[in-house]
Amino acid sequence: MTVLFYASAAVATVASLLAVTRTQALHALLYLVLALFAVALCFLSLGAPFLAALEVIVYAGAIMVLILFVMMMLNLGPESWARERHLLPRHAWLVPAIMASALVLLTLFAVLSAPQQATQAASVGPKAVGVALFSTYLIGVELASVLLLVGLVGAYYLGAKK
Amino acid sequence: MSGTLDVIVRMVLTLALAMASASMLVWVERRLLAAFQDRYGPNRVGPFGLLQLVADSIKLFTKEDWTPPFADRVPFILAPTIIVATGLLSFAVVPFTAAGALVDLNIGVLYFLALSSLSVYSIMLAGMASNSKYSLLGAVRAAGQMISYELAMGLSVASVVALAGSFNLREIVAAQEGLPYVVLQPVAFLIFLIAGLAESKRSPFDLPEAENEIVAGYHTEYSSMKFAFFFLGEYLALVLFSSIATALFLGGGNGPWLPTIVWFAIKMAAIIYVFIWVRATFPRVRYDRLMAFGWKILVPVAILNLLVTGALVVARSAGG
Amino acid sequence: MQGLPSESTLANQSLWPLGVYALLVLAMLAAVVIISALIGPRHSARRRDLPYESGMPPTGTAALRFPVHFYVVALAFLIFDLEVAFLFAWAVAARDVGWLGYIELVVFIVMLLAGLVYLWAKGALDWGASPANAATPVAEEIDG
Repeated sequence: MTVLFYASAAVATVASLLAVTRTQALHALLYLVLALFAVALCFLSLGAPFLAALEVIVYAGAIMVLILFVMMMLNLGPESWARERHLLPRHAWLVPAIMASALVLLTLFAVLSAPQQATQAASVGPKAVGVALFSTYLIGVELASVLLLVGLVGAYYLGAKK
Repeated sequence: MSGTLDVIVRMVLTLALAMASASMLVWVERRLLAAFQDRYGPNRVGPFGLLQLVADSIKLFTKEDWTPPFADRVPFILAPTIIVATGLLSFAVVPFTAAGALVDLNIGVLYFLALSSLSVYSIMLAGMASNSKYSLLGAVRAAGQMISYELAMGLSVASVVALAGSFNLREIVAAQEGLPYVVLQPVAFLIFLIAGLAESKRSPFDLPEAENEIVAGYHTEYSSMKFAFFFLGEYLALVLFSSIATALFLGGGNGPWLPTIVWFAIKMAAIIYVFIWVRATFPRVRYDRLMAFGWKILVPVAILNLLVTGALVVARSAGG
Repeated sequence: MQGLPSESTLANQSLWPLGVYALLVLAMLAAVVIISALIGPRHSARRRDLPYESGMPPTGTAALRFPVHFYVVALAFLIFDLEVAFLFAWAVAARDVGWLGYIELVVFIVMLLAGLVYLWAKGALDWGASPANAATPVAEEIDG
C-alpha cells in the first residue's frame, strides 16, 4: 500500500504540473482528470475507499464534466491557445513560483518535524463514514445541503443571465 | 484464501466472458431483430450465421485506420479506448460465479457507478477532438442525456443499498437469498433499466447517433477498429447493465439445482432480451421529451422511492 | 470510533488482481489500436482530408455555439450528484443511524427537491422552443 501511495502521489504531482502548463484547455483538463484519479488512488491506499470512490464520482465524473461542457459550448479554437501563451509569459510565472516553493518548503518542514507514527492511518469503511455523517456531523450535512441549494440557484441565475 | 493460479483463472474468465458475450450480442441482436421484423437476419457465414462476427472483425481490422488531419490526435485516439476500458474494468466486481467477483470490493456499487460516470468522457472527447459538426452535435446530445440518466440510476441504486446495508455486490446478492429485491423494489428496478437503456444510448434513447439527422453522431469521423470500439463499448455497457441489474435486483446467481453461473446467465439473458425487444418495439423519442422524462419523472420518482424505502428499512430495524 | 458496526475495510482479499486486470485490459486495447493502425491500408485522394458534411464541402468551422440549456443541465447534474453522494452515505448506514438519521435525510431531500422545483419553475427543464429559451442569446444558432 505504501508503494501504491507514493506511485500515485508522484503521478498526481506530475499530472497537476502538466495541467497547469498546457496551453490547450482540453489537454490541461485531461491531465487534471488524471491527477484527480491519482489522488483517488492515494485515498484508497490510505484506507479511505469511500472517499476514493466519491473523488472519482464527484470530481472526475461531475465537476470536470461540467468544465468540459463549458469548453464544448464556448468551443475555443487555436486562436485561444495563442492568447493563452501570450497571457502567461515567463516573468508572470516568477512570483507565484517563489510563493509556491516557500509553501512546499514549509510543508516539508512541517511533515519532517511531525511525529512519525501519524502516517499509518486506520482504514475506515463506507458504513463508518455514513454513521459519522448522519449522527455526529448532522448539522454539517444539513448546512452542506443549504450550501448546495444556494450554489444551484446562484449558478443558474448567473448562467441564465448572461 | 485463494491462490495466485485461481485469481489468474478468474481474471481470464472475467475478460473472456465480458468480451465474448458483448461480441456475441451483435449477432444475437441482429437475429432477434430480424425475427421481430419477420426476416432472416445474418445467416450466411457459418451455421446460423454464427461466424458473422469473425467476418466482421476481419473486415474492420483490415480497413483504413484514419486519424483525420483536422482532429486533435491524442484525445481522438483516447476516446474509443476509454469506453471499452471502463466497460471491461467494471466487470471486475460482477459476481458471476459462486466464488464471487474478481475482486470482492467493499465499495463495489460505487466502483461501478464511478466507472460509468467516466464513460461520458469517451463521448465528449470523441466529439470535441473530431473537429466536425456532426460529431460535436452528437457528443453534446449524448453527454446531456448520459449525465441526466446517471442521476436517476444512482438514486435507484441507493434504495437497494439502503435495503442491503452494503455496497458490496456479493453481500447484496447474499441478502436476496429467498426474496429478490425486484419484489421489494419494482420501481427502482424499472428506473434502473430505463436509465441503463439511456446510459448505453440504445433505442429508444439513441438520439446521439440518430442517423437521419446527425449521420453517426460523435463517431462520424471514426473508422476501422476505433469505430468498432464504440460499438463494442455500447454492447459491453448493455451486458454490464444487465449483469448489475441481475446482481442488484434479481438475486444474482441465487437459484435452485443449477450452478450459480447458469442462473446468473439465464437472468442476464432475460434482461438483455427485454432490451432488444424494447428496441424492436419503440420509436426514437424526441430530445426535449427525453430530457423532461429524465428530470421531471425519473428523478423525482426515484427520490420518493428512496424516502419510502428508507422509512420502511428504519421502521423494520427499529421494531425488530 | 467505538460502537461502530464492524465491517471489512476495503476488500476481503488484496487488491492486486484488480491492478493486474486493469493492466491486462489496457495492454489489450493498446495492442488492438496499434495492430489495426499497422495492418490497415492507406489511401489519399483530393479533398479527402475534410470533415464529413454529407458530401458537401464543409461550411465554416466546427466552432458551434450551443444553447445555454446544456450548461444548466450539467450544472444541475453536478449539484445533484453531490447530493447523491450524501444519500449513498446515508443508505449504507440507514439501519445504524435510525430515526434521527432518517429525519436528517428527509430535511436533506427537501432541500434537494427545492432545488429541483426551482429549476422546474424557472423553465430550466423545458427543452425546445419556448419564450424563455429564445431570450437567451446563445440559443439562436441551434435549436435544442
